[in-house]
Amino acid sequence: MKEITSRWNKVVGWAGVLIVWLVLSGTALADPPGAVVTPSKLQLVTAVMCEDIVNRLPYNEAVVFSITGGKVSCFTLFDPVLERTAVYHNWYYRDNLSTKIKLLINPPKWGTYSSIQLREADKGPWRVEVTDSDGNVLQTIRFSITD
Amino acid sequence: MEGFIQFFREIRWQDVVDIGLNSYILFRFYILFRRTNVFKILIGVALLWVLQQAAGYLGLIVTSWVVQAITTIAALIIVVVFRNEIRSVLQAKNIRSILWGVSFKQPQTPVQAIVESAFDLAKRRIGAIIVVQGKESLSEAVQQGIPCNAFITREMITSIFWPDNPVHDGAVIIEGDRIAEVGVVLPLSLRQDLPSYYGTRHRAAIGIAEMTDALVVVVSEERGTILAIRGNQIQRVLRPEELTDILNAHTGIEGQQDAAETKKARLEVAAAALVSFAVITGAWFSITKGLETLTTLDIPIEYMNRNPAMEIIETSVSAIRIQLSGSDTLIRSVRQDQVRVRIDLDGAVVGKNSYTITTENISLPPGLFIKSFQPDVVEVTLDTPDRKEIPIQADWTGKLPENLRIESVRIEPARIPIVGGGRILSKIQTVYTEKIPLDTILSSRMLTVNLALSPASLKVGPGYREKVLVEITVKPREIRKEGTGQPASSQ
Repeated sequence: MKEITSRWNKVVGWAGVLIVWLVLSGTALADPPGAVVTPSKLQLVTAVMCEDIVNRLPYNEAVVFSITGGKVSCFTLFDPVLERTAVYHNWYYRDNLSTKIKLLINPPKWGTYSSIQLREADKGPWRVEVTDSDGNVLQTIRFSITD
Repeated sequence: MEGFIQFFREIRWQDVVDIGLNSYILFRFYILFRRTNVFKILIGVALLWVLQQAAGYLGLIVTSWVVQAITTIAALIIVVVFRNEIRSVLQAKNIRSILWGVSFKQPQTPVQAIVESAFDLAKRRIGAIIVVQGKESLSEAVQQGIPCNAFITREMITSIFWPDNPVHDGAVIIEGDRIAEVGVVLPLSLRQDLPSYYGTRHRAAIGIAEMTDALVVVVSEERGTILAIRGNQIQRVLRPEELTDILNAHTGIEGQQDAAETKKARLEVAAAALVSFAVITGAWFSITKGLETLTTLDIPIEYMNRNPAMEIIETSVSAIRIQLSGSDTLIRSVRQDQVRVRIDLDGAVVGKNSYTITTENISLPPGLFIKSFQPDVVEVTLDTPDRKEIPIQADWTGKLPENLRIESVRIEPARIPIVGGGRILSKIQTVYTEKIPLDTILSSRMLTVNLALSPASLKVGPGYREKVLVEITVKPREIRKEGTGQPASSQ
C-alpha cells in the first residue's frame, strides 16, 4: 500500500478524465429496432500504450518506450458506458503492482487515460491491467521501458 | 612398552577379521594353484614387484618404470595365457575343496592297470599313447583333449584305444588316479636323430616328454613294442615289471608313500599359511597405519525418503566440503563416490526445511576419519509440482533508432504451460523472453527468441519448446513540433 502511495505521486494526469466523445451514434439509431443487441455491460474497445495524449488521442502508440521520453500513457476507450462508473488502470512492473489508478467514466461513451513519469529504475517489462469497478480484468497491455 | 600396548588397543575386531579373512584367501589361492604354472608366474610377478620397489628406493628411474610396466600387464598376461589352466583347476574342484581342505597325499596312480593295458594293447598290435602327468600341468602343451575324468582300469584304457573308437588316435592324459582327457593332440618333436621307423605317434610322445616332466608310454601298432619316454630318455620296455618300476618311480609311489613325505607336505602347507598371514599383515599395516594424511572432498548431498508429491526446488548448498584423515595409502585411493552425505527428507514440509549435518549423515570407507566438514546446516526448499499456463512477454534491451517505434508485438504462442513448484508458480504471472536487442531492429520482422525461465527449476510443459516466435511491427515515429499538440486533458 505504501509502495502504491509513493508511486501515486509520480502519476501524471492520473485524474482521468477526460475526453469524452459523446457522440450519439447515428449508426446505432439507424439500426432497425430489434436487430441491435444492446450490450449489457461496460465494453472496452481500445486500450493502447502511447508516448502522450494529443488532441484527445493517443500519440505514437507503441510497446517499447525509451526512458528519455520521460513518461508513458495508457489510453482506454469504453463504448458503451451504461452508467457512471469507475475503472482502474493497474500498472505492474515485473509482476509487482506499481500503481493503481482509479478513473471515472460516464455514459454513453468515454475515453480516458493514465500516465506515469519514468525513472532510471523503471527500465524493464511492464503491463497495465484495465479492470472494471469489480476488479474484473478487461484487458492487459504489455510494454517495455528501455534505454 | 606403553606404546606397544596402546598400539594393540587401537586394533579393532574388524581389523583382526580383515587380516584373517584375507590371509585365508591368499592361502587358498596357494592351495589351489600350488602345482600349476600359474603359481610360478605369480611368484615371478611378486618378485618383479619387489624389484620395482627396490629400484624406486634406489632411484633407478628407467628400471623402476620398465618393471612397473611389466608388472602392470603381467596380471592380464596370466589370465590370457593361462586361462585354460585356471579353468581346469577351478572346474576340477568342487566348492568345498576350493574353500576348505588340504590334500597332503597325491592320489595314487593304479600303475598295475596301466602296465597290463599297455602289454595287452601291444599284444593285440593296437597303437596307444598314455601320458602320465608329472608335477607340471600339461594344459598349455596339449590341444583338443576331450575331458573324461574316468577311473583307470585295464578295460577302460583298452577300449579308448580300440581301433573303432572315435578318440583312439589321440593320447590319454592320466592325472593321479583318473583318466583326465582322451583324444589329446600332442606337440611333435623336431629332433633329427630319431630312427626313421618312428612315426607320428612316437614323435608326438617324444614331443610332450621334451616339453614337460610327464612320462609317456607308447605302444607301437606296427611292431607291438612298448617305449617309456621321459625328458630326452627313450627306453624300450620288454617286461611288465620294468614298466611297473618306471611308473612307480615317476609317480613317486615306490610301493607306498612314506610318512616323511606327508610330513614334508604338511610343513609346506603350514609354511604357506604363515607366509600368507605375514604378507597380509604387512600389507594391512602398510595400508591402514601409514603416515596420517589429510584430504578435502566436495561431496554432493543425497536426499532420501522425499515425499513423491513434493519436489526439491532449492537447496542452500549442493555439496558438503569434508576434510578426511587416514593413512597415505587409503587417502590416495579414496574416490569421491565412496564418501556419501545423505539427508533424510522424511517429515519434510512444503517450504523451507533446515537440516543440521552430523557425522551420522556422512558415510566413509573403513579406515578414514572425518576431521571437519562445512556447512553444518543445509536448507532444503520443497514444493508440490504444478502446471500453469502463463502469458509470454517480450523483454527488450538497448535503444530503438529515434525515428522508429515498435507499434505492436505478436508472440507465438502467446501463452505457454509451465511446470514447477506450486508456490513459485503462484507468484509468477508472466514469462519473459531473453533480452531482445533493439539497436538492430530497423524494420518489421520476425525473430525466434528463447524464454528466460527463472528460477531454473521451472520448465516448459511437455510438447512445448523454450523458443517463441516474435513478430515485430515497426512504424515511423511521429516527431512533435515544439508548441503544438497539447495533452488531451488532465485533472
